[in-house]
Amino acid sequence: MIRVNLLLGLALLFSSLYLVRTAYDARRLFAELDKARNEAGRLDIEYKRLEAEREAQATSLRVERTARDKLAMRTATPAVTVYVQDVAASGPGQ
Amino acid sequence: MKPGRKHAGAAARSVSYSSSPLLASKTPPWRSKFLVALVGLGSCVLLGRAVHIQIVGNQFYRDQGEKRYAHELELPASRGRITDRHGALLATSVSVPSVWAIPKDVQATHEQKRQLARLLGLPPAELERKLSDPTARFAWLKRQLDEPVWQQVQALGIKGIYQTREYRRKYSEGEAAAHLVGFTDVEDRGQEGIELAFQQELQGRDGSRMVVKDRLGRVVEDIGDQVEPIHGRDIGLSVDAKVQFFAYQRVRDAVAEHKAKAGSVVVLDVQTGEVLALANYPSFNPGDRRNLSGAQLRNRALTDTFEPGSTMKPFIAAWALETGRVTPTTPIQTAPGSITITGSTIRDAHPHGVLTVAEVIQKSSNVGVVKMAMQMERREMWELFSQVGFGQKPQLQFPGAVTGRLRPYKTWRPIEQATMSYGYGLSASLFQLARAYTVFARDGEVVPASMLEQSAPLNPGSGLRVLKPETARAVREMLRLAAGPGGTAPKAQTIGYSVGGKTGTAHKQEGKDYASDKYRAWFVGMAPIENPRIVVAVMVDEPSNGVHYGGDVAAPVFSQVVQQTLRMMGVAPDLDVKPQILTTAVQESF
Repeated sequence: MIRVNLLLGLALLFSSLYLVRTAYDARRLFAELDKARNEAGRLDIEYKRLEAEREAQATSLRVERTARDKLAMRTATPAVTVYVQDVAASGPGQ
Repeated sequence: MKPGRKHAGAAARSVSYSSSPLLASKTPPWRSKFLVALVGLGSCVLLGRAVHIQIVGNQFYRDQGEKRYAHELELPASRGRITDRHGALLATSVSVPSVWAIPKDVQATHEQKRQLARLLGLPPAELERKLSDPTARFAWLKRQLDEPVWQQVQALGIKGIYQTREYRRKYSEGEAAAHLVGFTDVEDRGQEGIELAFQQELQGRDGSRMVVKDRLGRVVEDIGDQVEPIHGRDIGLSVDAKVQFFAYQRVRDAVAEHKAKAGSVVVLDVQTGEVLALANYPSFNPGDRRNLSGAQLRNRALTDTFEPGSTMKPFIAAWALETGRVTPTTPIQTAPGSITITGSTIRDAHPHGVLTVAEVIQKSSNVGVVKMAMQMERREMWELFSQVGFGQKPQLQFPGAVTGRLRPYKTWRPIEQATMSYGYGLSASLFQLARAYTVFARDGEVVPASMLEQSAPLNPGSGLRVLKPETARAVREMLRLAAGPGGTAPKAQTIGYSVGGKTGTAHKQEGKDYASDKYRAWFVGMAPIENPRIVVAVMVDEPSNGVHYGGDVAAPVFSQVVQQTLRMMGVAPDLDVKPQILTTAVQESF
């Protein structure tokens, strides 16, 4: 009887120690997961910021200025445009 | 030792307490009972308290315990973005640092403080004031800073200065679309324009989660359910950023050229009723709203009303045609250039003589129009005006759109009926005017206008039918004449596309009278005239550089805006254009 109790006592001891370890691991891993999630959030914010920045670099005002001043382009008028029929729209084989 | 003493010693040893007369005091039996009861009661109180703490009232202690390790984290929802019809960002939220301090913790040298003030753009005195209150546990130093600046602030290494992330709106199209997009306040709530109109949709709802933190502040466990943040919905506008920008530029240039006070342009897509552009000048930069005046903030195209003047004449001609009272070639005697109605005289700018109905519109003859209008019932005119949207609040999801003024027909006196036929005695915004002209552009239907992108063109019949298609086509022909040689606005012509439209010029009303030296010039038209795709309305307020006629001031803006917009929409020119494409390829030598 005593032996069985001793055995059970030992089992209980190991089980508790194992629980402590598992709980510790769980928390450690969760902390890592959370850190990774935060990083994902941060990168997402950064992405949005850069996207907004890209958009700010491509405003109509800047495009127009660059086209006119740097690239010496002019606004196209129908007089300098050749209008062609969309071949794909009017059917294949033409 | 003496025997007597010995005896006495023995007697002392054998003393019996119970029988000692000294001790045999009369202890009342209740005393011990009382003590037992007292101890018992004490135990009961303790037990009761224990039960209370452990079972009945344990919530308080649980809460207190939880407070020591559980933290609620806010999951901020981001505000939706506003895009144009092609997905270009007009407004977007970016996360930026806001700098705050715990004043009593701040330890900085004089030099550090000076640099901090410079980085934050604060006067040193103001920074000193913010940091000098020793009782304050929190003070904003500067909200919504740029990221690189915060990094510089961090590099100063001052204790007690922290950052919080906040969202700031960025408006990439800046002043060109400022009135349309609007702006938000520092708390990210919409204040104007689309930002205000769609505040509910854009806003979203913050979420939250409960977590357990360890002593290092790391999150180690989630508790309970997580409330996911609901991010704001993106709003796709019908506006084309390029058309908007172009329209803004043109009206800005026109205002500068004519030394005017202000100007507006509205571009509507005839097939869908979408607003392609709605630009006003003067404008403002929505990212920097210091020192703004009301004049800059006003969305004139929607909030300013004026008497539509000559631009009303085509409606009268249309109704006269619709009811079979006239045909486009019916002659009308406009000589001697004036007409008297109940004692008041209405004059033409130039006397004309006999004109056809089409010529009345082309030459913009007041007398001719009044003669047509006086054959109509007051109710007929009122109904026509109401149906095309005058005196009606525009069904537009936009704050501040005004109704304009159209009095009930029962109160019209004959002279008022006459003046209203050429656009005086009622008022409308430029936007209302543009929308009313869709009745001609869409073969007799007015369509509901929309700021939001529509998935498909509106089917014929989905608008409100006001005129027969033949009538609308006949009026379009008249509008083409008005914008052609011999009309009032030949400057509205544009290369490659046929246009039609009507000018308006009026003395500005000041108080009860009209100012003799202040004008307002406008033009409303459409293109291509055979099968219109767009309606464009242009208004210039107080041109004061010599010319002030709508045909000289507003029509050129119309011409340029039509040209660019149709090109961007990929509409093929309907007029023959003399090609100016030169092939100057030089034979390459090998």
